[in-house]
Amino acid sequence: MSSSASLRSIGGSVRQTSKNQRPGVGRLITVELRKMVNTRSGFWVPIAVAALTALVSIIAASNHGGNDGTFAHVLHAASVPGAYLLPVMGVLLICSEYSQRTTLTTYTLVPNRWRVLGAKLGASLIVSTIATVAALLCTVVAASAFGHAPGGTGSLPLTIILQAWLFLAGGMVMGMAFGAAILVSAPAIVGYLLLPVVWNGLASNIGWLATPARWLDSDSTLGPLTTQNLSGIQWAHAAATFALWIGVPLVVGLTRIGRGDLD
Amino acid sequence: MLPDMIEANSLTKRYGGRTAVRDVSFRCEPGTVTGFLGPNGAGKSTTLKMLCGMAAPTSGQATVLGTPFAKLANPGRHVGVLIDASAQHSGRRGGEVLATSAQLMGVDHKRVGEMLELVGLDSSAARKRVGKYSLGMRQRLGIAHALLGDPEVLIFDEPANGLDPEGMRWMRALLRDFADRGGTVLLSSHLLGEVQAIADRLIVIARGEIVAQGTPGELTGSGARTIVRTADGAPSDRALRRALAAEEILVRESPDGGLLTEADPEVVGRAALRGGVALTELRPAGDGASLEQLFFQLTTDKTEYHAELPELQETAR
Repeated sequence: MSSSASLRSIGGSVRQTSKNQRPGVGRLITVELRKMVNTRSGFWVPIAVAALTALVSIIAASNHGGNDGTFAHVLHAASVPGAYLLPVMGVLLICSEYSQRTTLTTYTLVPNRWRVLGAKLGASLIVSTIATVAALLCTVVAASAFGHAPGGTGSLPLTIILQAWLFLAGGMVMGMAFGAAILVSAPAIVGYLLLPVVWNGLASNIGWLATPARWLDSDSTLGPLTTQNLSGIQWAHAAATFALWIGVPLVVGLTRIGRGDLD
Repeated sequence: MLPDMIEANSLTKRYGGRTAVRDVSFRCEPGTVTGFLGPNGAGKSTTLKMLCGMAAPTSGQATVLGTPFAKLANPGRHVGVLIDASAQHSGRRGGEVLATSAQLMGVDHKRVGEMLELVGLDSSAARKRVGKYSLGMRQRLGIAHALLGDPEVLIFDEPANGLDPEGMRWMRALLRDFADRGGTVLLSSHLLGEVQAIADRLIVIARGEIVAQGTPGELTGSGARTIVRTADGAPSDRALRRALAAEEILVRESPDGGLLTEADPEVVGRAALRGGVALTELRPAGDGASLEQLFFQLTTDKTEYHAELPELQETAR
């Protein structure tokens, strides 16, 4: 590295500590979280998720008869808005950089594109954790407000909470993977929503696809995550679904992002 | 010798069958402004992108501060890059763009305000979303962004686009000042006038190849008194060189294919007459207009030059 630093600086204050220091993973993740919410659209999506989660929790709590599955029932409902919107946030996390061409800035400041993607993955996991906690809070508040007590011991087991987190985090990462593979927001969102549907359609009409469909149809394999303790075979189904719908687009995406020249 | 802050070494970029950049080599030293000149589509942006790790060269290497750009630990603190001022998220506020990058680079937040002030974006502009910015404002934001990390090197692609004449003068002064304090500046332009006034060195690129580089003086042959050109290429050139050597007049080649000498046009003309060489051009060298003319010639006559080349080589043999 050249020794001719600090010859001139335009303007005054520069903290010199990290001049030759690589920005750490924590800082990269913080910056990705910041970029997620510091645009006009980015600001409103999480607020929409929070508002819908609260609304859905209230509706679910008010409609449910007072049996002891109430909390689990409300949590299941409360995770629905996040299940739809977090994948969209995941898609935008990648695609907005490409469509707005901020990749020119991002990859100039952090040339290692894998590190940027890693930070986006970390940010996704944090956002889905926050969303899970929010859904849980809404559930407890709404269910209690409508006079339901946490009921029997099995009403809201920790397993269901962790599974709900996996459901939301998996969805967001899946959205990110589709975003990475396609790199343009609208087709990536449509692809994310449509591909499993198309897959289902094919599977129900073509006989020999029936068995793989049972393993890879996200509706039937991931749906139980918020409603029941998964059995061994159900875990295997969920894992296979995540492996396909995250793994394949992610590999395509990593290849495209890693070697692509920037416009 | 001063260290090379920027070095391009035989950079070549091919897209499919099309060669966008061919065998481009140059270096930039500290304390200098280098103007990277060429018409639109000549390969300037592609070359700059290869320098900044945004595009992978098909062959050749590029280093900044002696290292490939991608190997710099915290590049924003060493190299200020402005490739395209329009490449900003339209829904993000100007001040927030800088604040986010400042956080990423580990620069004190105070510097955001200082840079905004330096480029003349006031607090109401800083609060506006970039989508509402004029091209000139985006260019200023881009310049502020490039300076944010207090870099030693600036790489700017067409920074004058969208700036009004006053803004252009301001930017030139800023870049000149940056270099005078020891910084290294590489800026591209398709207009000679934009960089001529401040550039210590010029690199002229046309159709992906460097066609001339040197100080403005070297390119226009200052020091030389006369530009002379013969009628039919290499054999006549050799005859003219012999005729001039007989009079002890030193010659060297000008970048556009003519010959430069320190003798007056009249002396050169008489020597050519004695040598029996027909001339197509004989004129005093070194005025401002000739740089303009040279740039025009270098960047427009390239195809014809190539078409003539095999013939030239044949006659030379």
